[in-house]
Amino acid sequence: MKRRLCSKISAVILLIILSVLLSGCWDSIEMNKLSIVSGLGWDINPDTGEVTLTYQSIIPSQIKSPSGTSGGGEQKGIGTLQTIQLDHSTGSSPYDALNRYTQHGSRIPFYQHTQIYAFGKDGAEKGIYGFLDTIARNPVSRPNVLMVVSEKKASDILEIQSGMESIQAFGMAAEIKLSAEYSKYPAVTNLEFSNRLMSKTTAPIATMVGTFEENGAEGKKIQKIRITGTAVFKEDKMIGELNERESSGLLWTIDKIKKGFVILPEASLEIVKAKSKIVPELQNDKIKITVQIDEESNLLEYKGHQNMTTDILQGLEKDQAKEIESQVMTAVEKSFSLNADVFGFGEAVHRKYKKEWKDLKPRWNEIYPRIEVAVKVKTHLNEIGDVNKALMKH
Amino acid sequence: MLGLLLKKLHFQRKNQNSKKASVQHSSPICLSKNLDENLQLLKEALGQSSDVIIRDMKISSNSNVDAAIIYIDGLVDRNLVNHDILQPLMLNLQLIKENVSQNHSSLIDFIKSSVLTVGQIIVADDIDRVISDVLAGHTAILVEGVTQALLIDAKGWKSRSLEEAKNELAIRGPRIGFNETLRTNTALLRRIIRDPRLTIESLQIGERSKTEIAIVYIKGIIKDSLIDEIEQRLKRISADAILDVGYIEQYIEDNPLSVFSTIGNSERPDVTAARVLEGRAAILVDGSPFALTVPMLFIEGFQSPEDYYARPHYASFLRWIRFLAFALSVYLPAIYVALMSFHQELLPSPLLITVAAAKEGIPLPVGIEAIFMIILFEILREAGLRMPRTLGQAVSIVGALVIGQSAVSAGLVGAPMVVVLATTAIASFVAPSQADLGALLRILVVIVAGFLGLFGVVIISVEILSYLASLRSLGVPYLSPVTPLDIRSLKDTFIRAPLWAMDSRPASLDPNDTRRQSPDQMPQAPKTKSGKRERQ
Amino acid sequence: MLLEKGKISNFQLSALIIGFVFGSSVIISPGGGAGHDAWIAVALGLMEGLLIAWIFTALSKQFKGKTIIEISSLVYGKIPGKCISVLFIWYLFHLGAMVLNNYVRFFKLEVYPATPKIVILLLIMLICASTVGRGIEVLARCSVILVPLTVLIAFTDILLVIPHMDLNNLKPVLDVPIGILLWAAHGAASFPFAETIAFLMVLAFVDKPEKGPSAVSGGLLIAGFILIIVAARNTAVLGQMDEIVNYPSFLNAQVIDIGDMLTRFEVVVAINLIAMGFIKVAVLFYGTVLGLAQVFNLRSYRTIILPVGILMAILTCTNVGSTLEMFDFAKNAYPIYAVPFQIGIPLVTLIVAKLRKLPQTGGDKV
Repeated sequence: MKRRLCSKISAVILLIILSVLLSGCWDSIEMNKLSIVSGLGWDINPDTGEVTLTYQSIIPSQIKSPSGTSGGGEQKGIGTLQTIQLDHSTGSSPYDALNRYTQHGSRIPFYQHTQIYAFGKDGAEKGIYGFLDTIARNPVSRPNVLMVVSEKKASDILEIQSGMESIQAFGMAAEIKLSAEYSKYPAVTNLEFSNRLMSKTTAPIATMVGTFEENGAEGKKIQKIRITGTAVFKEDKMIGELNERESSGLLWTIDKIKKGFVILPEASLEIVKAKSKIVPELQNDKIKITVQIDEESNLLEYKGHQNMTTDILQGLEKDQAKEIESQVMTAVEKSFSLNADVFGFGEAVHRKYKKEWKDLKPRWNEIYPRIEVAVKVKTHLNEIGDVNKALMKH
Repeated sequence: MLGLLLKKLHFQRKNQNSKKASVQHSSPICLSKNLDENLQLLKEALGQSSDVIIRDMKISSNSNVDAAIIYIDGLVDRNLVNHDILQPLMLNLQLIKENVSQNHSSLIDFIKSSVLTVGQIIVADDIDRVISDVLAGHTAILVEGVTQALLIDAKGWKSRSLEEAKNELAIRGPRIGFNETLRTNTALLRRIIRDPRLTIESLQIGERSKTEIAIVYIKGIIKDSLIDEIEQRLKRISADAILDVGYIEQYIEDNPLSVFSTIGNSERPDVTAARVLEGRAAILVDGSPFALTVPMLFIEGFQSPEDYYARPHYASFLRWIRFLAFALSVYLPAIYVALMSFHQELLPSPLLITVAAAKEGIPLPVGIEAIFMIILFEILREAGLRMPRTLGQAVSIVGALVIGQSAVSAGLVGAPMVVVLATTAIASFVAPSQADLGALLRILVVIVAGFLGLFGVVIISVEILSYLASLRSLGVPYLSPVTPLDIRSLKDTFIRAPLWAMDSRPASLDPNDTRRQSPDQMPQAPKTKSGKRERQ
Repeated sequence: MLLEKGKISNFQLSALIIGFVFGSSVIISPGGGAGHDAWIAVALGLMEGLLIAWIFTALSKQFKGKTIIEISSLVYGKIPGKCISVLFIWYLFHLGAMVLNNYVRFFKLEVYPATPKIVILLLIMLICASTVGRGIEVLARCSVILVPLTVLIAFTDILLVIPHMDLNNLKPVLDVPIGILLWAAHGAASFPFAETIAFLMVLAFVDKPEKGPSAVSGGLLIAGFILIIVAARNTAVLGQMDEIVNYPSFLNAQVIDIGDMLTRFEVVVAINLIAMGFIKVAVLFYGTVLGLAQVFNLRSYRTIILPVGILMAILTCTNVGSTLEMFDFAKNAYPIYAVPFQIGIPLVTLIVAKLRKLPQTGGDKV
């Protein structure tokens, strides 16, 4: 009894001593010793091949606390960055550049809250495998980070204040997510990009972001950022981009349409529900792909001064189907011309014809542009809005 | 170092043993026939204390028999002694014509049976018994030539009147609480349970205090071996004095070194009665307004008397609130520390930015900040508790100002830390019986979190769980009925089932009689059709 | 001389089995190597595991209230029996070290890069050792609380990640060659299902031994079912990344993002790992020390907890040099290495016992 008591005491003492003395606090780091990186840019110097990383870090002391000092908003000057700080470091490889950050930073960079990986277009065209490997291997990166290609340099889009968010990268991420929600351009995460890269046949994509100028108050020019398209990669190299219409077509095909609008010459429609399916068919070495799209929409605008009738509705449905089909087809044609399987047709064939796929896969580059694609769209107009007759009739 | 500790323990145990032996050697001394001799012995034993009253008198019809009554002033009801003992002895005895005084021993029987008009009279022939009973408030009558003494229960002293229970509050349900008098307390229990099998066993513990202890249980419900075990443990106590049930608690625990209390207590007769009815035993101590109840399960800390008086849904909800509050009060500061200094990646980004902004410019590491704040809070709490009521206000004002405002605005402590600590503090008061335990665990977990982050928190939690699972309260696993699992008893753990659904007593207590009520008592609407027919 | 006086109920046994099977499979998904058919491999592995469980529960039913150590000295005679017992104990010991290794490497890589391995290791060893010292009863009670909690968390994890699932990732079904699939299935059987062979040390303390087999297979089925779902989930969420990342479940939890606030759930995976790994290591540790105490006729197994714990820690630190080596061993060598222990010892013992018509006094003599 006494022995057990003693052994218990000793166990407790041992536990406490061990946890205090042995542990120390190796991994403990105070929040105010961290530099929270909100966006990471990656550029490559075409001449030397050197990598430049751009860190966009948050300056916590500049974030206004809601109850804190009032009137913090008065100096929200144009183009001045109060809440974020940009740092650049250059090295022969991504990690070399990362390493050199310590030469001019005062805090340890902390990547777990990074929202955006931005690539300069020149760099992306040279291949981004080095960067992808670094972030996949490194446990500090997360799978949800958005992949963005900048029209010029990565650092350009990381320094322009955008959106209403106080941190630029958060604003940019919100912008991209909003456009994905309204089915304009895809938002591509790190995980999705890697998956497309791994599949060999499917081409990775990323959001393309550019800058534009706007006239502001007092005749000043305001720089803003805007999503301009979808970057298409072949393996890890960017080979082209899809414009607005082609991006929509892409989204229709890969079943990424959630909300959004279909704009016809005579009417605008709001997408309520959409579903698409890629159905491949293999007929003695010829591949035929049918994209089946089911869509439901509501009427938002109608320019024809007529009372609504079922005939008009059916006409609208038909026009809508035609519009969607043409969007898809432009995207398909563009992808054929780039010879990049952005839709994952290859994987769809793989799913259905797994035996033949072994033979098809190595030749996919040759097969792909010769695929026959058909689009079948079923549309349905649900609601016509609050009025059932025209306000002004001709 | 451990060896030394072992030796020390040995030594202490030995000392105790020898002491015990020296006390118990004396054999009882009988009363002699000579009254003076007896009085002399009593005087010697009781000393020269001024509150010991020895009154000589002459009784019997011809006033020729010497007698004396002995009592302690203040412990007896003076009215009772004067009117119902002295008056009959000195007056009424004279009126009796029959001469019974020839035989002294029949005189004492006569006094007992026909003269004294008081309730409880004990005949004793051993002087130690007389002394101890006089000290307990009895009045002793000694008569010349008789080797027996009459011990009359004429206790009457000032005690606190019955008041509302102060610590275990309930909005619905009875209000009354125990007070410091053992008899009153047992009477309170008896008033609730009128079962003839309700047994109140008495014991005297304490070499010097000779404190009256009562074990209360219901024969037929309680497991028989449990009563033996309790008696055995109580009898093993050999202490100077028992001043409160807290003393008893520490002597009879299964795991004396544990921070978890394995003995329950309550200051409410209704709660005590409910536990006795479930198959537990209560231990009452004279001079303490609390009752111990054994065995105790961990879950009891989260049950409140009101649970059973309120509607079941809300009571169940409150159970969860209490669990949550207890978890918060133990873990919240630790989790905050771990998140802030180890796992910044686990905070959602918007939250992280806000917190980072608040943390900016705070000089202390967050772990030290947390410990500093926790200790400050404990100091304030203790000060508020011990201070005279009138000063308590001042403490709370200073506390609120120092912690809430100045520390933050001076940049010594982050505002989120204050929020965390305030939440913790409030949460720790939700289950008051667990508050002291919570405070200790909180500090332990915060220290571990400061060194090892969440990994340490989880490791220490698993260790605490394993430790809890190994605890027993008088042989009953502490964590039952959750583990070992007893599905039927779960009706009164995570939920509080309606009373009509709780048919059986907690099986983990292993009661003799498991059935609490007849089953199928769910209230139902009267069957209209058939009912009408019957009436017609 | 009874070394263990505690008794556990069948429910507790099931809970222990579930916790044990979860063990390190919380982070290292079984069935790796079968690509996106991992869940089929796990399902097949579960079947094999159930077969093996049937063998060893039959053995333990034959000899009620006896551990494998006592059984083998009954069946093979004193000296050969002890040799086989020592082999079996080695397996438990080695397996314990391997599980600890998984544990420590995971934490070192994903959560605590700067903390020395030995600290994490020692702390886990300490809680396991203290619980083992408290006996099988306490361990079983802990599992009753920890396992439902973990199952609940696992299901929450699955529910929250549903928006990120793409069931197309699971297609085409049966894509890998059948040979590779079967190898992966055997891998999934040897880790983690058949590792429940360690319960030959625990089954002796079940209060109703005749229901032991159903408790074991019940536990295996529940755990297997959840592991199948988890394997399918990982593939559906992560796609082909599932095959190349070391800890898919951890990455999977990182994907969770609901409304920007319900996010960053990877910590629950780590918590599950600690809780379940604790049960697994503790059972193996318990088997090792109890087995050694029985082989060497010690009066109590508690005295050797500390030395065995230290030895296990040393083996953990030295047995593999890198995570790659660890995974390599787990994928290629372990499924073969484990066969003699997981199938060989119980099957041969059962056959020999049947041939020798043991136990002669009948099953009722405990």
